[in-house]
Amino acid sequence: MASNTKSAILAQHRANEDLNTPLLPQVARDDSDLAADGMRAPLDERIIAAASAALEDGQTHYVDVPGIGPLRDAVADYLNGALGATYQAGNVVITAGLQESRFLSIQMIGEQYDSIALPAVVHPGVRKALGVRSRNPRTMPVSPAKGYLASPDAIAQAAADGCRFFYLESPSRLSGAAYSADEVAAISQVLADQDAAVIWDQGLAPWVEGAYACPAALDSDCSRTATIGEAYSGMGLASWFLGYIAAPEAWVPAMQSQKQIMAICTSTAAQYAALEAGQHYTEAQSRQLSLLGGLRADTLSAANQAGLSVVEGGAVNLIALQMSADNMNRLRRAGIDYASGSLFGAPEVIRLNVNHATAAALGALG
Amino acid sequence: MSKKKKEGTSLLYQLIGEARGYDDVIIMGRGDPDFDTPPHIVAAAKHAMIHHHNDYTPPQGLLPLRQAIAERVKRVNNIDVDPDTEVVVTNGGQEALFLMVLAVTSPGDEMIVPEPNYNTYADSLAFAGGVKVEVQTYAETDFRADPQDVQAAVTDKTRSLLLVSPNNPAASVIAPADMTAMLDIANEQDLMILADDIYDLFVYDDFQHVSPASLPGGKERTLTLNALSKSYSMTGWRLGWIVGPADLMARVTELKAAVSGGASVISQYAGIAALTGPQDAVEMMAEAYRKRRRMVLDALDAMGMNYGMPQGGQFVFADIGFTGLDSAEVAQRMLTEQHVLAYPGSAFSKDRKDYLRMTFLQPEDQLLEGLERMKVAMDKIMAEKI
Repeated sequence: MASNTKSAILAQHRANEDLNTPLLPQVARDDSDLAADGMRAPLDERIIAAASAALEDGQTHYVDVPGIGPLRDAVADYLNGALGATYQAGNVVITAGLQESRFLSIQMIGEQYDSIALPAVVHPGVRKALGVRSRNPRTMPVSPAKGYLASPDAIAQAAADGCRFFYLESPSRLSGAAYSADEVAAISQVLADQDAAVIWDQGLAPWVEGAYACPAALDSDCSRTATIGEAYSGMGLASWFLGYIAAPEAWVPAMQSQKQIMAICTSTAAQYAALEAGQHYTEAQSRQLSLLGGLRADTLSAANQAGLSVVEGGAVNLIALQMSADNMNRLRRAGIDYASGSLFGAPEVIRLNVNHATAAALGALG
Repeated sequence: MSKKKKEGTSLLYQLIGEARGYDDVIIMGRGDPDFDTPPHIVAAAKHAMIHHHNDYTPPQGLLPLRQAIAERVKRVNNIDVDPDTEVVVTNGGQEALFLMVLAVTSPGDEMIVPEPNYNTYADSLAFAGGVKVEVQTYAETDFRADPQDVQAAVTDKTRSLLLVSPNNPAASVIAPADMTAMLDIANEQDLMILADDIYDLFVYDDFQHVSPASLPGGKERTLTLNALSKSYSMTGWRLGWIVGPADLMARVTELKAAVSGGASVISQYAGIAALTGPQDAVEMMAEAYRKRRRMVLDALDAMGMNYGMPQGGQFVFADIGFTGLDSAEVAQRMLTEQHVLAYPGSAFSKDRKDYLRMTFLQPEDQLLEGLERMKVAMDKIMAEKI
């Protein structure tokens, strides 16, 4: 029997462009898949041992909604060390991956605000999260010359226009470009002057060579910055779906309550694996950063040889290239999967993950 | 600190928080089986950590898991689904519940909900901007949801009907004739059905579980959820699913991608092992729950307490109206004075202040001890009343 009710639901669904925004794969299928958000990486035997031991010890039951205490402690310590923030375990919610971090933070912190300002070019997961329940998004202009980051001036203008809630990526999920310390200081000043709040996606920060700046370090009373990201990226946990939100304590209860409503808690195996990963992260991340730095340099050479224009970047795990439709077709014909910039709002650009196959992939254009 | 009286999920978490402070607490509240996950499932997870930790998984889940789910819902529920397009893996039954509600609800839409019911449905409905229309059920009729009452609750804004069988917290099972009548109403009134089958393996005596999607004309308007949490003692793994018609499941897939992206690949391989491996542990646990249920009912009978006969599930919804106290107060006193945690009915529905939900998810010795302590608490309350 045909259902008008179902037809109406489906018509509404088809009209929801934000919700239907395609997402990129969490992990690459193989080395020629350069489109994925997450990084393929070996899994340290010590992590396997720790996660297995936890399961064999009976850690197969519900755990606390915001995550197991030691992992919340570890994430807070990591962020304080890496960003200069002042988080404690009570500021941290462990999530079932970065997308859940986006969803929870946008939806629940957003309940306090009339609208949310986004860069015109942003990860498609942001629009997708907004497609479930709109928080009245406004876009801020960006340019490829600045790696598609919204400038402090654009942020100030959005604040002057009345917006008090921002979503910013640094590094950009498309280009890898990150804000400088001066830019972060300027953004923090806007936030403080306007009593505004920000969700700051810093998940790619481990892959920035040199100094990295985050407004959480300048948010002295920890009152206006929610930092989100994937937990311990590059440790072989991308397919385990583990992320975090570190936020002012006043914002945590609403996110924790919503996390209870939509998931109860995050997989215990993933949490115990992450707990062990944190023990070895500094060393492993440093090694990976160095390796990826070399591979990205090779990729830049290959891009130059192919006459391609590279978008201003910073993070060594990816590269964004201005690319003609012809060249995009040639990559596709060569079996190279890339992330289309059109998903982010920049159809003239593609994003490639940097690995051992990336430089050679650009050879298809030579 | 807020002086506002806690209710619903907040009330439960307040009690759980206090319970953590007692070393000798006996938990008869939370729906978390005392059994650990069977060893062959843990072994499969360990194998996946070594061999599949980098595997790509789409938002709807690994195909082999979806195939195992399709086989399971055919075998247990008699629902035919295509694993390619009609199954979505979720982070537990809880996420499945949230996604199902989002999938069919727009702001202002009404959902008919037989009460009492699991409080998260109301929370999810509130998130979606929907309106809960309650249909009351009663202990005297073992919390049977009467199709006539459902029919009477339909308005021009009604979009969906929630059918949780066995019900949480009332433990009633919708009889086959009633399920057919519910589907007839859904067809006549053009309603979507949300079916929560999470306790479908725990049905007692001669009661029979029927999935509405298995009935003629049911599948096209029904989303059905289930999870491995209760049946395989896998609450910490966060693995569940929704099955339904391909067109609606395309929407569910997008919602899943928007809310959390995907499910942990390790949990998914564990789930494959659970569904395709030996089932003797499930049968052992089900048998243990049957025995414990009898123990609880005997103890309640000895205390002279009324309850709706639990036809399924893992709990009993008992009437404590004779105390003259609100169930939140009774639960609080049981916890503070006797270190026994049971959930107050008022956490599930404002109209159920006379009830307590008690699970039988504890080893027998603890369960008996908990029931004895509960009797002490009740005797004290009644003595004070005199």
